[in-house]
Order: sequence, then C-alpha cells, then structure tokens
Amino acid sequence: MIDPLIFLHVMVAEFGLFAFLWVLVEVLNPTETRIRRARIAAVIGLACLLAAWIAGGFYYVEVYGAQVKPAIKAGDAPWVHSVVMEVKEHVFLFLPVLAATTAALLLKFNNDLLHNREARLTVAMLAGLVFLLGFVIAGMGAVIAGGYRSAIEAGLT
Amino acid sequence: MNSKALIRAAAITIAWVAVATIGSELSAAFKQLLTSIGGHHWIGKSILSAVLFVLSYLSLLKVSDDKLSLRDTTLLIGTVMVAGLAILIFYVMQA
Repeated sequence: MIDPLIFLHVMVAEFGLFAFLWVLVEVLNPTETRIRRARIAAVIGLACLLAAWIAGGFYYVEVYGAQVKPAIKAGDAPWVHSVVMEVKEHVFLFLPVLAATTAALLLKFNNDLLHNREARLTVAMLAGLVFLLGFVIAGMGAVIAGGYRSAIEAGLT
Repeated sequence: MNSKALIRAAAITIAWVAVATIGSELSAAFKQLLTSIGGHHWIGKSILSAVLFVLSYLSLLKVSDDKLSLRDTTLLIGTVMVAGLAILIFYVMQA
C-alpha cells in the first residue's frame, strides 16, 4: 500500500507545479482579470509546494531512510539512491525559494505587469522555471519509486 | 517590497544550498553541524535555507529598486542551472 505521506507529497507538489504553469499562461498575455487569476494561482502554488516540502521531508526522514534507502542500495541499481535521490532531495530545496520569489513579485507588481515588460518576463520565466524544475524532480521521484518496486520484487525488503 | 533584493536573495540561497550540499558530503563536521540544527542534515539545510533567504533579503534592502532588470532574473536562472548541475555532477562522481 502506498504510504499516505508520499501520496500527499506527490499530490500537493503536482498541484503546485500546475498552479505555476497556470501563472505562466496568465501572464503571457495579461489583462487585469488574468493577473488577478495569476495571483490566486501563485498563492495556491506556493502553499502546495510548502506542504509538499513538509510532507516529503517528514517521509524522507521518518520512512525513506529506514525502509526505502536500504532496499534500493541492496538492489541492482544502488545509483537510484546515491545519485537520483541525493540530487532530488537537494534540488527540491530550490523550489520553495523560487515559488516564493515568483509569488511575491506577482503580488508586488500586480497590474503594473500590463506595462512593465521586464517584470512580466521575470514572472513568466520564473513560473516556467518552477514548472520545469518541478517536473524534472517529479521524474526523479518516478525513478526512485521504480527502484524501490524493483527491490521489493527481488525480495530485498 | 524590493524586487531586486528578493531576486538576489533567492540566488544567494540557491547557491548556498549547493555549497552546503557538497560541503556536508566532504566534511563530516559540517554535516554534524547541520544535523544538530534539526536532527537530520536535510532538515538543517532546509531550516538554514529559509533563514538565509529572509536574512539575505533584509540585508539587501538598500539595493536600489528603481527598475527591475532582466539581468537579475538571468542571474537567478543561471544560479539555478549552475547549482543544480554542480549537485548532479558531484553525486555522479561520488557514485
């Protein structure tokens, strides 16, 4: 059975990433209505990524280290932990910082985004970066899940 | 809110995460220091990154915020790419 913490981590993280994709789409060709929606999406996205940080962190410290890591390292692909998980757990720390920066800039510039090209491009690029980086990290999560599944099938747990 | 200070604080924090990540693998004492903050080195890095983000923003508040420049945005995106690659290359070499 899937651990409820990892389920929560994945769900809120994915929702948060799509919220930042939503921000990107809204600011590409902004109107006052679209900027209002983008502000809502950015706040939701930031809240989701902060929740993903806490849920994923709790799972990593309490469950992963004791159950998943030893199984993966004993399997035929220990690099899944020593490279993929190590990179994922640390690059993930970029996301809350980038999400908070994007949301704060959006709230600050608000309807000035209609006329301020630099601010609009900055918000669009950072929202796109959150989405792309987040999906690279989600892909790493899928590789780690595959490594653990393989270890379970090999009877290593 | 000072947008330039915010973007630069984000770049500083992300660069610090990369340095702390690699540093904690190379120095057992540094890893122990991070562990002592939150019971686990990753929690220590998480707490310190949040604190550093706020403190570096506050320390940069005097930066002029007259016009947001894409140079700052490019600096932040470049920092993300370099920091991410540095972490990836380090762990590939360690494996």
